[in-house]
Amino acid sequence: MSRPEVPPLPLNIPGLRLMGQVLLLLVALFATQAQALPVYARQTGQNCLACHAGGQFPELTPYGRMFKMTGYTIGTRTEVPLSVMGVATDAFVANTNQGSVALANTDKNAQPVFAAGSVFLAGKISDNTGGFAQATYNNYDSQDPNGNSHGYLRSDNMDFRYADHLIDQERDLIYGVSLNNHPSVTDPWNTAAAWMQYVPAASTAAYQFADATTPFPQTAAPANTAGLTTYLFWNRHLYAEAGTYRTANGLLSLLSFNNTDAQTPHLAGGWNPYWRLAWSQEWGAHNLMVGASGMVAHLYDGNDTTSAANLGTARTSGLDMQYQYLLDPHTVTAQLVYNHQETQYSPATFAASPAAALTGVPAMDSTNLIRAKLSYVYEAKYGGSLAFFSSHGSANVQGLPDTKGYTWEAFFMPVQYVRVGLQFTGYQTYAGATTNYDGLGRSAGDNNTLMLYVWGAY
Amino acid sequence: MKKPLFLSALGLSLLAAGCANLQHSRNVADPAVPAKVLAEQVCSTCHGLDGNPVSPAFPRLAAQTPAYLTSQLNNFRGHGRSDPAGSEYMWGLSSHLTDEQIAGFAAYYAAQEAHRDPGAGKDAALLARGKDVFEKGVPEQNVMACATCHGPKAAGNDVFPRLAYQHADYIVKQLSVFQNTHGGRPGTPMAAIVFPLPEDAKEAVAAYLEAMPD
Ligand code: HEC
Ligand code: HEC
Repeated sequence: MSRPEVPPLPLNIPGLRLMGQVLLLLVALFATQAQALPVYARQTGQNCLACHAGGQFPELTPYGRMFKMTGYTIGTRTEVPLSVMGVATDAFVANTNQGSVALANTDKNAQPVFAAGSVFLAGKISDNTGGFAQATYNNYDSQDPNGNSHGYLRSDNMDFRYADHLIDQERDLIYGVSLNNHPSVTDPWNTAAAWMQYVPAASTAAYQFADATTPFPQTAAPANTAGLTTYLFWNRHLYAEAGTYRTANGLLSLLSFNNTDAQTPHLAGGWNPYWRLAWSQEWGAHNLMVGASGMVAHLYDGNDTTSAANLGTARTSGLDMQYQYLLDPHTVTAQLVYNHQETQYSPATFAASPAAALTGVPAMDSTNLIRAKLSYVYEAKYGGSLAFFSSHGSANVQGLPDTKGYTWEAFFMPVQYVRVGLQFTGYQTYAGATTNYDGLGRSAGDNNTLMLYVWGAY
Repeated sequence: MKKPLFLSALGLSLLAAGCANLQHSRNVADPAVPAKVLAEQVCSTCHGLDGNPVSPAFPRLAAQTPAYLTSQLNNFRGHGRSDPAGSEYMWGLSSHLTDEQIAGFAAYYAAQEAHRDPGAGKDAALLARGKDVFEKGVPEQNVMACATCHGPKAAGNDVFPRLAYQHADYIVKQLSVFQNTHGGRPGTPMAAIVFPLPEDAKEAVAAYLEAMPD
């Protein structure tokens, strides 16, 4: 792969100073609490790194996975089952011009911003039940026609469980049921679609690139769903999960608040199956997982859920692999994901597309995605990672999805609840082209983004 | 699937929320949960069901002496043992344990059979040097023979812990903890004994203990 040029940095000195102040404040705040989720750490009384590999959220250790699979029930019920997380960022996009005007959503480029914050309600409820519920406030969630950004609080990952663990000389079986709001959010491994991501990522509308819009391992489900899955983990080797998703409405709409509007596709009916199989092997300080997963989603475009002309289908299937080496002071993780998605468009969408006027163009598209990430953390304090992504697909109805590039990150954790990082994402191909991908002269490398961040949680 | 199924699942979990399940509990602050249950439900995830963990990140507890197990759990609970891994992993889990539960853990792990890691003891020269340190000490540095207290085959005795088959990585870490005055394991004879122990002797004796040839 030829390396995209590193962009010249539009260094903004006052901005950096403010960023420094935010950083100092956060460090001071957290250093006094010298003691992933902080509420889980309070529940078990353990340090975050017992559950999070080298203290990197959200990546789990084998113990963290068992903690999740046993329904977040290890430990003691905490009096205040709450955690908060916040991130301040300063991102620099290589080129913010599109033709002769400023590119949309880049007005906060090169400015330090409080990007987003989350609240978590989480922990043990009883000996067999526990949960994880996150709501995220994105300060630059969306822009109005005048270009002003608006913040929104929206439902994020949610997972409520009943679990039991049968263990003695003869058998070791964990099984459980989860009510959750996203396919694969229940998964214990971090190569799952819902979890393989950089946290934080430059996801605000203010600078729309960086890792957030790099191809994601997909599941064929929108953000307004609720699902019931059941799973088992046998002899610390075989993990199997199956369930189905539907649109989160009625009582279940709590699981999707502010994530449902007229444009969001809606799952049709209650049979949108999700499945997952994985094999895990531990030896010495190493552990390896090889797995597969898939989903079939019947989707209405938007919220007109009565007309069959609006109904399409998306099928996803994927293979994933994760290797970890965990022995103080070293944490090594390697992740690899392949994902294939086939979208069968609804008759209405197809009829409205230029493809309908041509002969022999099928009403479907497929996308293939490969993502790989290697990370290393020393003493749960200093860390870095390198990731590659490449998506490739057909363009019968959709635009060319081809996007290819890499992300690197270096970070430092002065205390276990604070991380300061520098992240760079470089694009070789963006939306199907290396140069002039938008017809207005932007090239893929114009989207290269450098981001400085301070992340904290309590 | 129909909505009622979702709702009844939700209802069921809310119902279950009130119940305790003592035979499968993972509640480390409930004095009514027997030590054996916690050993299976909680401790086994790191230390292994029988006290023989897969990962060297966690010490082997199988066949450890009851007196030593009791003293360490007391030390974690009372924060008398504060080496980094000890406080990060063990303080929280032990903070609400009762004396009775601690005695239960001691009996449970002492009764298990310790296993040797299949990969242990590949380096013959290192083993020979380690055996020498263990059985004779390092006279020129005034280091006493370890076997004097830990037993000829490192099987331990009362407050002197068993070291045979223990992970070498863990042993080296503990020796460094003892060597450091602020290491977090005060009040034991180990600090004075291993203070002058050279780095290479630590590695060697740890390799020997992990393999402990018959
Ligand atoms: C998340 C992993 C984890 C869990 C769960 C866990 N431990 Fe530990 N335990 C450790 C680690 C790591 C150490 C080593 C600490 C050190 O290096 O000081 C340790 C040390 C110990 C020791 C001291 C061993 C020695 O040789 O000095 C005892 C005893 C012990 N644990 C008992 C328990 C019991 C009983 C439980 C269940 C209530 C338990 N542990 C649960 C990780 C764990
Ligand atoms: C005078 C008796 C004595 C001698 C000699 C001695 N030890 Fe110890 N050792 C102890 C005692 C007592 C403890 C328990 C310390 C505690 O309670 O924290 C211990 C603990 C240890 C531990 C920690 C075990 C664990 O599970 O955490 C290691 C490792 C160890 N000794 C290695 C050695 C080595 C190697 C030597 C020889 C160089 C040696 N000891 C010599 C008395 C002795």
